[in-house]
Amino acid sequence: MLGLAAIGLVVLSSVVIGVWGVRAARSTPDFLVASRRIVPGWNAMAIAGEYVSAASVLGLAGLLVKNGVGAMWYAVGFTAGYVLVAALVAGPMRRSGAYTVPDFAEYRLGSLRIRRMCGLVVLVIMLLYLVPQFKAAGAVLELTSGIPYWVGVVGSGLVVSSAITVGGMRSATYVQAFHYLLKLAFVAVPALFLVFLAGPERRGAAVDPIGVDPNWTRPLLDIDNSGHPVLTTLSVLVATTLGAMGLPHVVMRFHTVAGARSARRVAVSVIVLLGLFYLFPIVYGLLGQVVAPNPDESDVVTLLVPGKIAPGTIGTVLTALVAAGAFAAFLSTSSGLLLALAGGLSHDLFGGSLSRLRLGVVLGTGLAVALALPAADVDINVLVGWAFAVAASTFCPLLALGIWWRGLTATGATVGLLIGAGASTGSALTSVFLDLESGVVSILLSQPAIWTVPLAFAAMALASRPGSVSEWADESVLRLHLPVRSGSATPDKSFDSVGGTG
Amino acid sequence: MNQRVRITSPQTRLALRRKTDAMRRVNHKAGRPPIASTAIDMAGAERALRRQRRLALRTALLLGAVLGALLLASALVSGLLGWAVLFFAPYPLLLALAAGHVRRAEQIEADS
Repeated sequence: MLGLAAIGLVVLSSVVIGVWGVRAARSTPDFLVASRRIVPGWNAMAIAGEYVSAASVLGLAGLLVKNGVGAMWYAVGFTAGYVLVAALVAGPMRRSGAYTVPDFAEYRLGSLRIRRMCGLVVLVIMLLYLVPQFKAAGAVLELTSGIPYWVGVVGSGLVVSSAITVGGMRSATYVQAFHYLLKLAFVAVPALFLVFLAGPERRGAAVDPIGVDPNWTRPLLDIDNSGHPVLTTLSVLVATTLGAMGLPHVVMRFHTVAGARSARRVAVSVIVLLGLFYLFPIVYGLLGQVVAPNPDESDVVTLLVPGKIAPGTIGTVLTALVAAGAFAAFLSTSSGLLLALAGGLSHDLFGGSLSRLRLGVVLGTGLAVALALPAADVDINVLVGWAFAVAASTFCPLLALGIWWRGLTATGATVGLLIGAGASTGSALTSVFLDLESGVVSILLSQPAIWTVPLAFAAMALASRPGSVSEWADESVLRLHLPVRSGSATPDKSFDSVGGTG
Repeated sequence: MNQRVRITSPQTRLALRRKTDAMRRVNHKAGRPPIASTAIDMAGAERALRRQRRLALRTALLLGAVLGALLLASALVSGLLGWAVLFFAPYPLLLALAAGHVRRAEQIEADS
């Protein structure tokens, strides 16, 4: 009951801060001018707040209990992606002034067809990412208050979609920043308590597991004991690192930053914040292996550990805190994802208006809820891994080549997107519907990034015929790399009213 | 500094963009680039692009090397040391890589 109350408080405070944040922003004329001078730290916290999802809070610890310490590679990949964001995407993307990936594609390639295609890919990635968020919300509610899974999932859908409509959750940077702090506090503080309360014996067993399957202690990922841990780890690493670079809702956030220079700096700060956060789910995982090693409950192990280590009041309080943190993660990520999805639905595909955007939120929630209901038994991190794999096989090559190579043409991008999206979603679906024997083939299907990413890059490069490079391709790429003081580095003011190129 | 700026939520902005979209489509038909051209220093931008691209490639390759080395270390070492390396080592390395890149990228911008 305490857990449910804590979750309710999180929802309420998010909506209140959201509404208040919108008002404050509107009544302060200087807000946007001030926002150009905002410490990059706030923007970074907002990005981390949206990025650290239920998959990180629950899924990481769960996978660690189920598959072994190699699950830490997910956290490494999630963070490593921001090195590429800082190096390849953040600065030029900010200079382009584009708000979303489809915006950027249209700017760079001057084609409406490519914009629509990108809109479709956004939908696929966002849905794959949303389903595990709803699964996590359902699981948290089921565990903390005994609500049936499907009621929890449907209820979370109602809460999120109405929170977006009422509060406009992502409207203010500090709502997202607040969520990062909330998650960090509700996950980190209980973790420190638990490490203390666990006592020397269990701490020792968590740090140096003896008598556990040697496959578990090997720091490589080996899903379903396929016998090819290096290949699996490499493919997951490719998907998470390159996927983070192509996630539509991540790219979107850099547009609130003052300019190209601070966009890069923000990406670096995000690495610090993620590196700090990801230490804690791993602590839960390591403790969970000692006190709650049941693989069937692995996705909620973060919530089980407090009760097992400290039965009684302390455990109940800590469980409530962690549950609230997990729900905050669900709330912030899913509202960010839903807005990106709704934006894609209404704007890129159907030429949107505000009412269509709202409709898009409702439609997107409905779809995600409907897909989450039968997904109760699918590992959270497996689904999130697919979202990353699709992003890595589509938007990663589109952005990397589009930003740095003048030779990319609309034809090349179209072919590459089709092949990348087709290959990655196709093999993920195949691995679900065909019950393949565990081995190299099953890994290449369930973790396809290792071959679909190079394939998409090659397709984009080869299908871009040389000689058909337009004058605009030349200029559009050069504009992305213009040093700031050379004048109008934001080519199109209509993309955003923030401006801020000084 | 005292210039008044219109403030809109991202949702409103999206909706408003519909109009400018239509205008830009007209521009497309006229065979003009979708964005108003202002003269840019092409030669300077060209130099900046080449230097930034070399730096970006270098950082990407270094990232590959760092992650590859970590993977190799994980494949060879097992037990307590294995996960300790994976728990502590990656984040400072990633941070150093990204910070180094940003410092160099800003230097290039200051030079050009």
